Amino acid sequence: MKLADDPEVEEFRAQFAAFLDAHLPEEAEARERAGSSAHVPAWARRWQRTLFDAGWLLPGQPPEYGGRNAGLPQQLAHLEELARRRIYHSFNPQGLGIIAASLLTFGTEEQKRRWAVPILRAEITAALGMSEPEAGSDLAALRTRAVADGDGFVVNGQKIWTSGAHDADVLLTFVRTDPEAPKHKGISALLIPTGTEGVVRRPFGSIAAEDDLDFNEVFLTDVRVPRENLVGPLGEGWRVANGSLGHERTLLWLSYAERLEDLLLDAADAGAGQEWYATLRMDLTALRLLGYRQLGPDRDPAEISVLKLLGSEAVQSASLHVLEAHGAEGLEHPGRTGPYHHMHHEHFISSWFERYARSFAGTIAGGTSEIQRNIIAERILGLPR
Amino acid sequence: MEFELDEEQQLLRRSVRETVTKVRGRPEKQQWETYLRLGWLEAPPLELALILEELGYAADPTPFLATATWFAPLTGRLPEGSGTAVFDGIGRYVLDADRADEVALLTHRGVTVVPGAELAAERVPVLDPHLHAAHVDADGLVAAVPDLALLGLAATCVGACRRVLDLVLDHVKQRVQFGRPLGSFQAVKHKAADMHVAIERARALTHFSALTIAEDDPRRADAAHMAKAAAGECQRLVFRHGLQLSGAMGFTWENELQYHLKRAQACDLLLGTASVHRKALLA
Repeated sequence: MKLADDPEVEEFRAQFAAFLDAHLPEEAEARERAGSSAHVPAWARRWQRTLFDAGWLLPGQPPEYGGRNAGLPQQLAHLEELARRRIYHSFNPQGLGIIAASLLTFGTEEQKRRWAVPILRAEITAALGMSEPEAGSDLAALRTRAVADGDGFVVNGQKIWTSGAHDADVLLTFVRTDPEAPKHKGISALLIPTGTEGVVRRPFGSIAAEDDLDFNEVFLTDVRVPRENLVGPLGEGWRVANGSLGHERTLLWLSYAERLEDLLLDAADAGAGQEWYATLRMDLTALRLLGYRQLGPDRDPAEISVLKLLGSEAVQSASLHVLEAHGAEGLEHPGRTGPYHHMHHEHFISSWFERYARSFAGTIAGGTSEIQRNIIAERILGLPR
Repeated sequence: MEFELDEEQQLLRRSVRETVTKVRGRPEKQQWETYLRLGWLEAPPLELALILEELGYAADPTPFLATATWFAPLTGRLPEGSGTAVFDGIGRYVLDADRADEVALLTHRGVTVVPGAELAAERVPVLDPHLHAAHVDADGLVAAVPDLALLGLAATCVGACRRVLDLVLDHVKQRVQFGRPLGSFQAVKHKAADMHVAIERARALTHFSALTIAEDDPRRADAAHMAKAAAGECQRLVFRHGLQLSGAMGFTWENELQYHLKRAQACDLLLGTASVHRKALLA
C-alpha cells in the first residue's frame, strides 16, 4: 500500500498526456454533437481512428486492436487522463467497451476482422440487445427466440432499452436458442445487422426530453441471421454476457468518480460550508480508494457491486443536494451548470434538475441498486438466496 | 497509488486476530502485556490502524488506544506503562485518564507529562461498562488534536462495526421464522449490504489517513477528518440496522452485541462526531 503511482504508470501517463495535448480535436471541429450513444459525428470518428492508429484507444489490447498490451493500472491512468480533459475515447461506448470487447474475447478471427475492428476504428457503430419487456433485472428470462434453419437462424421477439439502436449498424443480440434448457443455459449471442429484413427500431424519448432519443424498442420478425454471426458457442450466451464486460466493469466505477468530481467543481459555490459537500468529498475519495484496490490481484468480482452502489448512489444524493441548494432556481431548464467545454457540451446546458433526473440512469441501468444489494448480501456476506 | 494490503500486512492482520481471540477473557493485565511483548505499540501508522481495527473488533478493554494514539503522538515517545493525553483544551471525557500511568497535558507552555497518580482525574459514569473516560482538572490547557488520535478512534470504530455486522450475519443466517432464515428476506439483505458498504467506505478512508500520516503527506489533516467522519457515519447506520436486525436478543445484557454497539458509538462521540469533522473538512 502506498500513495505514489509506480514509475512505469507515471511514464505511461506522461506519454499519453503528451499525445492528447498534440492531437485533441479543435473547438471549431467538434461543434456537431452526438445524437445518441451509437451516433458518432464525423469529427469524433476521426478522433477515435486517431486513437486506434496510435494504440491509445484500448491500451489493454494488442496493437492490431488499438492498444499496446498495457496493464490495469495503466488502463486506469488512460481513462483518468481522458476524463481530465473531458473527452470520450468513443462516442459509441457500448460498441467499444462491450460489443467489440466481447468479440475480442469470444469471437472468431473472421468476426474480429469483420465486426470488431470496424467498431474500434469507428467505421460502424453497435448497440446491445439485452433487455426485453419481460426480462429486465431478470435478464436470463429473455424470450426472443432463434430457431436453427439451414445454415443460420430465424429470430423472432422484442428488445427494449436498446440504447442507440436506431443509429447503430449492428446489434449484439441475446436470444434463446434452446427453450428446453435451464434459463441460463439456452441463451446464445448473435450479431444482427440493423439493415436486415424484419428488424424494426423505434426510438423513444428519455425523462429529460421527448427528443432525447437513445432508448429504442427493437422488433425482430422472422429475421434471418447467418450461422457465422453466432458469437461464442451455441448456448453459451450467458457467459458472453457476463464475460464481455470484463475489465470494463472493473473500471466502471471511474465514470461515477468522474461525475462526482464534476459535481464537486460545479457545485463549489452551492456547497460552500454545507456538510453534504464534505460527504461528497468523502464519497469521492473512498470510491477512488476502493476502485484502486479492485485493481489488485484475485479480487472478488462481486466487490464491483460495492463500487457501483457506492458510486451511483453518491452521484444521485449529491445531485439532489445541489438541486435543493438552488431552490426554485433549480427548476430553470436548460441551465448552465458547468463550465463550457467544447467536447463536454452536455454539462454546460444541463440544468441541475436534469442532472438529478439523469442520475437515476446510474442506479437503474446495468443492474439496479436493489440487485447490487442482493449480490453483496448473497455473494460477499453469504446470506441465503 | 496502490491500495491493497501487502502480504506482510495481511499476515499481521491475521496474527493480531488470532492473538486477540486467544487472550480474550483473560485478566486485562495479561492482555496488555501480550500486546506490549508483541511490539504493537511501536507499530507504524498503517499497521497500527490494522491492529486497532482488530482490537475494536474484540472490544478490547485495555488502554492500548489512548497509549498508542493519544499519548505517543503528543509526546513523541511511549509511556512507562500506559498513557493518555489531554489535547482538547478543556480536559473533558479524556480516554483512560483515570487509570493511565502517565498523562500528557497540552498547555500553552507546551507538553508536560505527569504521573497518573498525581493527576486530578474523575471517572465519568458511562453506559459502556468497559469504557474509561474521565474529566481532568488542569490549568492552561489548549486544543490541538493529533491526526493519529482521530485515526485511532476511526479504526477502532470500523472494527467494532465489522463485529456488529458479523454478529448480525450469524444471527440472520441461523434464525428461522416463517419457515425460512431471516437472512433470505430482502429487507434484511439490503440493510446488511448497506452496512457492508458503509464499513468498506470508512475502512478505506482510515487506511488512507494512515498512509498520509505515515508518508507525512500534505493531505494528512483532511484525511484524518474524513476517516473520523466516515467512521461516525458508518457507526450511525451500523448501530441502527445492527440493533434492529438482531431483534429482541440484541436488546439484552447477556448478548455481546451491546459491547460492540457501545464501543462504536463511543468512538463517534469522542473527539467530535461525524458532523464536527465534516465541518472541519470544509474549513
